[in-house]
Amino acid sequence: MTAPLLKIEDLRTYFYSKSKQAFIRSVDNVNLEIGKGETLGVVGESGSGKSITALSVMGLLSAGPGVITGRIGFKSDRVQKNLLQDIGDFVKLTMMDGKVMAVQKDEDGWQELSEHRMSNLRGKEISMIFQNPKQSMNPFMTVGRQITEAIQLHTEHKSEQAAKERALEWLDRVKIDTPRLRFDNHPYGLSGGMCQRAMIAMALSCEPSLLIADEPTTGLDATIQSKIVDLLAELKAELGITTMLISHDISIISRLSDTVAVMYGGTVVETGPAKAILAKNEDLKHPYTAALLISIPSSENIKGKGNLQAIEGDVLDTINIPAGCRFYGRCNRVTDKIKEKCERQEPDLRDISPGHKARCWLYFD
Amino acid sequence: MKSYTQISGEIGEFSDLPFWKKADAIDIVYVSYGLLIVTLVVVSYIFGAFNFLPFDPEDIDLELMMAGPFTGKHLFGTDFMGRDMLSRLIVGIQAYFLPGLLAIFIALFFGTVLGVLAGYRGGRFDTGITYFTNLVDSFPRLVLILLVIAAFKPDIYYIMIVVGITNVPAVASHIKGKILFLKQKNFIEADIALGLPTRTIILKHILWHNCRSILIIQATLGMGEAILMETSLSYLGFGVQEPTPSWGNMVQAGSNYFMKGQFWPSTAPSLAILFTILGFHLLGDGLNNILEGKRNK
Repeated sequence: MTAPLLKIEDLRTYFYSKSKQAFIRSVDNVNLEIGKGETLGVVGESGSGKSITALSVMGLLSAGPGVITGRIGFKSDRVQKNLLQDIGDFVKLTMMDGKVMAVQKDEDGWQELSEHRMSNLRGKEISMIFQNPKQSMNPFMTVGRQITEAIQLHTEHKSEQAAKERALEWLDRVKIDTPRLRFDNHPYGLSGGMCQRAMIAMALSCEPSLLIADEPTTGLDATIQSKIVDLLAELKAELGITTMLISHDISIISRLSDTVAVMYGGTVVETGPAKAILAKNEDLKHPYTAALLISIPSSENIKGKGNLQAIEGDVLDTINIPAGCRFYGRCNRVTDKIKEKCERQEPDLRDISPGHKARCWLYFD
Repeated sequence: MKSYTQISGEIGEFSDLPFWKKADAIDIVYVSYGLLIVTLVVVSYIFGAFNFLPFDPEDIDLELMMAGPFTGKHLFGTDFMGRDMLSRLIVGIQAYFLPGLLAIFIALFFGTVLGVLAGYRGGRFDTGITYFTNLVDSFPRLVLILLVIAAFKPDIYYIMIVVGITNVPAVASHIKGKILFLKQKNFIEADIALGLPTRTIILKHILWHNCRSILIIQATLGMGEAILMETSLSYLGFGVQEPTPSWGNMVQAGSNYFMKGQFWPSTAPSLAILFTILGFHLLGDGLNNILEGKRNK
């Protein structure tokens, strides 16, 4: 593994729910690493904290009652800093027995510092693609204007003409047909797939060090999905861009990722090379990952069984996180030997083979 | 003759024709009429301001009292003191024109600032601004104006400042509503993620590209309201005082003679009020339809 570009350590993002008078621990003790030029696939059910992790990295959660602590180390050729440095000073979090007791937060100071820290990183160093391409563009501005605006802001192409040339080049690169015509279209004149291509062009045109793709294919139909994935794979091979790819679709993750992190209940339960994690064998794998792989509709998975196996139970309620393993209630591989441990104590993320970590008592004594 | 109806919906929106070619004929008519009226008002205002008038509006001619329209050089006749109606109508524009612009400016400027704060920042700002707008809204406007007149003096600028302030809540809530709507679509979030400065996002992406039709509508409605307010207060004797002409006090002065068959001293300013307000409203409405595109046909 090359030197990590982004290193997330002990990231915690909590939201206060007024109606329930409790903290929702959307992201709880997340540790991730993305090496330069690698693609990290983050996979998990809805509500497992994938998107919140991405938004925490971007600093897009600063407004509102959110609480973020931890360390996000970012180290590119141009910038090297901890995105959350000193931000913890504005928050006082009192924890007792794994439960949040009290929180004091200086909202204004927090916001100011967060904005100050992120202002010259967003767009320039870290770009983001959202799930809903059509809603991520200003409906009253032409696609071209929006891309040129970003280019003029972040690159050395300051003049109108140079920026336009560059924007057209990128529109061509993401395989939008007749870029010159599309340049003057408004977002409603483009189909969903074309809009997502334009979004990708906009995100990449500033040559960021890190691209965060938050479910880039959700909301598109199946054929367009596969075309967008092809495009991302091509761009990855061509540019060698570091990507954090968030999706609940394992087939997309398996096509694009070098490493994979599986999230459950706000934390990472397994991380390692994509090949090891997405392989079809059941052993040496977190039970949750194994269950996820079995629940993908494919001819192999229904062979001999007649129907698809779903994971029993519901996604973890992140307000009341149990003391033991988060997956304990739904796990089908609990043995009598480890049962007590599973119920009482949360396992750490530890190596089960070199470079492959899991959070499960099955593999430790 | 065959008639064709334009198919509504998305097909129309896909065309990249310039906006005036996409517009409906009726909207063009609205805007043309509105522009005609507004131009007429502005030109007349300039004539009045430079004293370029057929007669002196305060020149009393006791031999030509209540002369009907088209008497001699008096196109609209004369009033009960023999003063030329046309000159008085033109000079009457001065009573509301600049004060009206002041009212519009106050309403738009403060309304936009409060609306953006409430919508974009939210939280405590939103709560505070909602309290303020509710407070302003809860007073009847006329009562507030009479209060100001009683406390200071019956000056049209004071009145228009109150009109402007009472229009602030409407503008603020429109802008706030629009921003809350835009926030649901996540392009604002995408803009932040792209590293655009907050200034650019608010001024360009939100206000210029998404709120200009609101501002145009509110400006034209505000002008109509300012005219109506000025004329009604002058009619009641609180606004512009005789002998300075205003459309309101002209209607009032002329109304005594209406039943005697001498209709022109009150009818001419009444029609002027009617067509001017209609012109401003149609201009705003037509421009809104053309710029926004008719979404809900």
